[in-house]
Amino acid sequence: MNDLGAPGEAFSDEMILAGIGRFLDELDPPPDDLVQRVQFALALEDLDVEVARWERLDTLAGVRGGGTGTITFTVSDLTVMINLTKIGKLHRIDGWLVPAGQYGVEVRVAEHGTSSTTADEGGRFVLDNVPRGTTQILVHLGDVSCRRTVVTPTVVL
Amino acid sequence: MTDVQTTEVDPPWEGLTGAELHAACMQAAREGDRRAMDRLVAELTPLVWHVARANGLDRSVAEDVVQTVWLALFSQLGKLRDPKALAAWLITTTRREATHPFGRRMQPVPLSDEVAEAMPSTQPAPEDEAVRADRDRRVWRAFVRLPHRCQDLLRLTVLAGRAEYQLVAETLRMPRGSVGPTRGRCLDQMRDLLASEGGTR
Repeated sequence: MNDLGAPGEAFSDEMILAGIGRFLDELDPPPDDLVQRVQFALALEDLDVEVARWERLDTLAGVRGGGTGTITFTVSDLTVMINLTKIGKLHRIDGWLVPAGQYGVEVRVAEHGTSSTTADEGGRFVLDNVPRGTTQILVHLGDVSCRRTVVTPTVVL
Repeated sequence: MTDVQTTEVDPPWEGLTGAELHAACMQAAREGDRRAMDRLVAELTPLVWHVARANGLDRSVAEDVVQTVWLALFSQLGKLRDPKALAAWLITTTRREATHPFGRRMQPVPLSDEVAEAMPSTQPAPEDEAVRADRDRRVWRAFVRLPHRCQDLLRLTVLAGRAEYQLVAETLRMPRGSVGPTRGRCLDQMRDLLASEGGTR
């Protein structure tokens, strides 16, 4: 395999592949708490959910851990906008669902349980005194006949 | 939210590794065992992470994608019949998420020379450890100079090898028979780069 011919320079396939393996592990490891955050995101009573995607990452980047700002996330036909206001160690969350509807909204924060409310006819909702931390948002859509739950990945707010 | 398990017996996947571990965990997860899900997440999150990063996502976007992929898996666990297909499913889904049309495609993966150079010169270590670290740095410098396709192939070879699946061909959409020869050419190219870099030590 090695036709390099440089004495003492025999990089075997295994050596190269092992080196690339260490490259991945040492230079770019997943964040320490990522596994825990995934496990938190999955700790839902019912996993029959649709997964929303965070959008507008430029603004989100500023929000992460920063305390105040607007986040948007979407899943197929639903858009949820969240505005965060930091009040001491807590957050006030102002949200808006599009299309509007009186849907149930839950905010789960790791180690702090769940706050929930229902959006008004205009799709607006407010949650006060939400603890900061690893946060996941759930929206319960539809009626009894066709119930859907949309969840977001967790984000540290 | 976590159900207390009735007994503290060892889970059925205890002592298993690789594909067998995944299969046992998938089976238990389908029956609602949350510990099995947690175990799979702990086991395979590095794979999902590196695939997301290899597709050019920055770290914070990669974090979201990793979670999205896992949520997607467990919300449709019943559809994935063959546990052997798990790693392939994770890789394919991650790649699809990474290029999702929400305009999330970022700059090419920032694995540059500077990154390789910035690798902390390993802590005081035995002689052979230092030799290995030096050799690794040379390998990394060569690796980042490879064409993207080769980087992808070799990275997946390493990651798939860990997951004990022959799925490089599938995920790179290459004919199975051409993976070996292409990999060989990529490795030879690595050796050329290593040689041209000089510094025979």
